[in-house]
Formats: sequence, structure tokens, C-alpha cells
Amino acid sequence: MKAQRIASLTFTALAIAYLAGAFFIKEPPLRQQLGPDAFPKTIGVMMLVLSLLYVRIEFQRQPVKEDDERAAIIGAEEKLSDYVDYKTIGIMLALMLGYGLAFESLGYPLATFLMFMAGIYVLDLKHWKRDLIIAIIASFGIYFLFRYALRVNLPIGVLKFLFR
Amino acid sequence: MDIWNNIVLGFSVAVTPFNLFLAFVGVFLGTVIGVLPGIGPMTGIALLIPITFGLPPNSAIILMAGIYYGAMYGGSTTSILVNAPGESSSVVTCIDGFEMAKKGRAGPALAAAAIGSFIAGTFATIMLMILGPAIAQFALNFGPPEYFALMFAGLTVVTSLAGRSLVKALLATTIGLAISTIGIDLQSGVSRYTFGNLEMLDGLEFLVVAIGLFALSEVLANLADMRQAVMERLSIKGGLWLTKEDWKRAIPAFIRGTLSGFFVGGLAGAGAAVASFVSYGIEKSTGKHKEELGHGAIEGVAGPEAANNAAAGGAMIHLLCLGIPGSGTTAIMLGALLMLGLQPGPLLFQQQPDFVWGLIASMYIGNVMLLVLNLPLVGMWVKILDIPLYLLVLFIILFSFLGVYTVNNSVQDLLLMVGFGIIGYILRRLDIPAAPIILAMVLGDLMEQALRQSLIISDGSLGIFVTRPISLILLILAAISITNPYWGQLGAFFRRIFGQKTAA
Repeated sequence: MKAQRIASLTFTALAIAYLAGAFFIKEPPLRQQLGPDAFPKTIGVMMLVLSLLYVRIEFQRQPVKEDDERAAIIGAEEKLSDYVDYKTIGIMLALMLGYGLAFESLGYPLATFLMFMAGIYVLDLKHWKRDLIIAIIASFGIYFLFRYALRVNLPIGVLKFLFR
Repeated sequence: MDIWNNIVLGFSVAVTPFNLFLAFVGVFLGTVIGVLPGIGPMTGIALLIPITFGLPPNSAIILMAGIYYGAMYGGSTTSILVNAPGESSSVVTCIDGFEMAKKGRAGPALAAAAIGSFIAGTFATIMLMILGPAIAQFALNFGPPEYFALMFAGLTVVTSLAGRSLVKALLATTIGLAISTIGIDLQSGVSRYTFGNLEMLDGLEFLVVAIGLFALSEVLANLADMRQAVMERLSIKGGLWLTKEDWKRAIPAFIRGTLSGFFVGGLAGAGAAVASFVSYGIEKSTGKHKEELGHGAIEGVAGPEAANNAAAGGAMIHLLCLGIPGSGTTAIMLGALLMLGLQPGPLLFQQQPDFVWGLIASMYIGNVMLLVLNLPLVGMWVKILDIPLYLLVLFIILFSFLGVYTVNNSVQDLLLMVGFGIIGYILRRLDIPAAPIILAMVLGDLMEQALRQSLIISDGSLGIFVTRPISLILLILAAISITNPYWGQLGAFFRRIFGQKTAA
């Protein structure tokens, strides 16, 4: 339950920061019954109280039994399995960030193609020939579909010369 | 009669070739989303919102509604054949559905699910047609205080039913509300929490948060244990149709499921997942064959499947008549409609009857399409499960980026989306539900506006919320829904105190 404890403290810090931020909201030139800072302040207080409750639950009591009963009644989403493949997650996250950064500069088709192939390389290379074709359709195919059928111009980036 | 004119108007909108096509595309994509494990209706609609940008609002909602109830249908297929619910509302269907499939009765189970969904979907649409205008008429009397109370109640009801822990669900709600305050405050022009970033002045884009929290966190969750996933799949043996005995047992369950689902899950706002559990509970306590439940009883499929579809239809009433989402999925639909420049609510019935009635008519048509699509073609849907998970993951990433980028053409949005994906995944691991965040984010702005308008009316006095009967009732409702898990404890507390007194 260490993660839960850290989370509860993080939320408390977040709530404090949010609440403090509410005090820095500027007064509007025109006074109103309820200024722009009132709603955030209320939320901030609620958030702080709730995160302190969260802290209390995690630090004082043993994991509560009633919570699981509640889950059985209302069918909460199933818990994730405890096994986590951090390496795959980390690589794929880096890939997503790279994809985001390259989206405009490399352009949609090239960035997507590279993201797809890199993803296939990381996750499963067994059917790479089939997947290569899928990657081309997903990148260049979708680009042309958007450009000519939906009339949306996705960024073309370094491949600009193709459309000169 | 007025209703007939409206129905004619509705069908004249819905039966245009283009809208028929969209309804078909909607239910088709919806079924795909429902069948695919991992993508629920919320993720599905969020991912597909960008395709609706070029469409007139009318057609956009027809498409989205199709996806919504299509996903509700599709979810049952994987529950029955693979024992993997496509979304939370078909978790119960697994219990008896998979048992039936193991006994070689997958066909009747699928048929019962499809027919139950059809009956419930049609019932909910009829109720929407009958009750909708009346509710909208009633809601026309609502002023800002009533609206504030209504949104407050809606938020608490949904929150009180989300996730395992009330504290965590409420915390999620406040996070959503906090996110909604980012950006320029429209009433005073003051910027809040923007940290001098120009792109933040408009606030966080709704789609960035929704797709990050649902689609990308789903991707991360799948990646986390991808190499361990093994699925056992059963094939369909024997006929698809129900026997006479099946019908005799299923029909009462259909009716019970439809009614309980519509009123509990739909009108009361408890949502489709709760509706299916309530229905299962009813079958377990009243059914003639209750001892068979859990071992492959047809009632265990018929009831809950009817219930979750009835609830989904019922949730549309809130969205259309009051402009307030009663579930995470309808919250995303509301967000999408707001992006299209349309404000659902009671005025909609008067100002844009073609929109409302067109949607209602398309829901009838969509339900028929689904029945046709699902029963004979069930074999094809099961094949979707052959798509390797890693390709699915890559496509979700692709569509997430495509969708978010087309909203503002902003790379910053893409990076923020990845950030929310990470946050969403962490929240999942912590067992903090994400649906209340989205709901609160959509409602936050509207609530703040209503709150401030109310206080202008009352000249700053909060008493306005308790002196107006409707808003008072709604606030009491909210209080009940949030405190009810603790009633047992309170009761025990009082008993202890009073017990001691009598003893002394």
C-alpha cells in the first residue's frame, strides 16, 4: 500500500497548491457577487479535505473490507493485474512522446509510419511483412484519405516536396 | 396528435440516405468497439468524435448515439464467448453467459442478449418520445438555482456509484472541477491557472483530457501485461435461436430487466453497469429458476442485457431534455455537442425539433439494424478478436493523436494528452475512477455559471438554493446519495448509544 500512501500525500500537496493558486487569481475590475476566485477556493477546500481523508485511510486503517463489498455490489471496474511490464511501458511512452514531437516537423505520414514500425519492432516482429503494409496504409493511406476525402490537411512536414 | 407529427418529422430527418448511412456506420463501429476488449463506449466515442467535426450536429449525434448503443450490444458477445466483458456493463453477463456457452448453448445466449437489448432499446426510445417533451416542458421552468442543484445532484449520484471508494471517487470529481477552472473566466475576463501560457487561456481541451484518460491509459494498461494475456475462446455450437422453453423463461426476464434498467439505471442516473447488477439481483431473488443462476441460466443473460440497454437509452433523456449527462459516456457526448456549438437542454425540443426527433427516429432504426447485424453475423464479430493486441494498441495511439491534433492543430495538446494518459494509468492503478473527472470537467463550467447567476438573482445569498422547492429537493437527493453508504454505520452508532443508555 506504499503507492497509495504516496498518492494520498501527492494529492494533498496538489490540493494545497491549487488552493494557494486560488488566492493569486486577480480581482476583476468589476466587482461581482461571486468573483472568479470563489469557485476555485471552494473546490480547493473540498479537495484538501478529501485528500486528507485519503491520507487518513491509508495511514491509519488496514485496507477496508467494505470497499470490496461495495465493488461487488456496483460492479466497479476490475482491478489491474499486479504484474507490470515497466520496460515495455517506458519504451512505448517514449515512442508516444517522440511521435507527438515529430507530428508536425516530420509530418503526419512519416511520423506515423516510423511510430508504427518502431511499435511493431518493440511489441511483436513475427509478422513484420504484413504489418509493414498495415503501417503504410495507416500512415500514407490515412493521410490521403483525410486530404482528398475529408478535406482535412494533416501536417506533411519534411515530405512537402511531394506536393510541389 | 402532436407526437405523430413529431415522429413523421423525425423520420423525415433520419431516413435521408446520408443519415441512414451514418446510423449504420455508428452501430457498426459501436459493435466493433463493444466487441473489442479494452475499448469501452467512453473510449470509443472519445476517439471517434473528430470524425463528427465536419458533420451537421444532427448527423453527428445520430452517429454518436449509434456508437453508444452499438457498443452496449457488442459488449455481450465477448462476455458470452470469451468470458471477457467488453465493458463494465456486461460484467454480469459473463457469469451465466459464459456458463451457457460452455454447455454448448452459446447461440441461445447470444440471441437472448440481442433480443433483450432490442426490446430494451426500443422501450427506452418509446419512453424518451413520451416522457421527453414533458420533462423538457417541466425543465423550462428551471432557473439557474434549479440547474445548479440538478447538476450538483447528477454529479453526486454518478460519483457515489463510481469505483470502490467514495473518498477516491469524490476526489476524482474535485480534480475534474479543478480542471474546468483552468483558462479565462468568461464572466470576469480574469485568467486562472494559466501560468502565462497562451494556449492555456482557452482552458484544457476536453478531448485532450478524455482521450488521454481513457484511450491512452487503456493502451498503457494493455501494454503492462500484454505478454501474459491468454484468452480462452468458445465456439458457437448448435442453433442460434431460442427454444420455446427459453422464450418462456427469457420474456419475463426481458421485461424485468428493461423496467429496472430504465428506471434505476436511466432515470435515476445510476448508469448501465449498476442497472445490469440490479437486474441480476432481481433475477436471483425472484426468478422461478433462481437456483440455476450462476450455472448458465438464460435469465442471467436476458435480464442484465436488457437492463444495460434500457439504462443507456434512459441516460439519453437526461442528456437531451435537461442537457445534463447522467453517465460518463453521455458526458463525453455532451462535450462533443458543446464542441459542435450545440447546447442540449429543454429548449432543444422547441428550437430544434428536427434534431431531437431525428435522433429518436434514428434510434428506432439503429436498434433494428443492430438486431440484423448482430444475430446472423455474430461469427464475423467474433473474428474481430483475432486482431492482434499490439496492432490494436498502435491503432488506438494513432487515432488518439489524429483526433486530438485535428481539434486545434496543436503539438502542445498532443503532449498534454500523453501526460493525461500517464495520469489516467496511475489513477487506474490507484483504483481512482476516471469517469467522475470527465463528468465534473464538463459540468464544472456550467455549474459555476449557474452558481454565479443564482447569486446575482439572490444578491449574494446562498439561501436561494433551499428556498426554491425544486432545488431543495434535488440537493436533498444529492445528500442522500452521497451519505447512503454510511447509513449502516450511522444506524449502528445510534443503536450503540441508545443501547448503552437503556442498559444504564
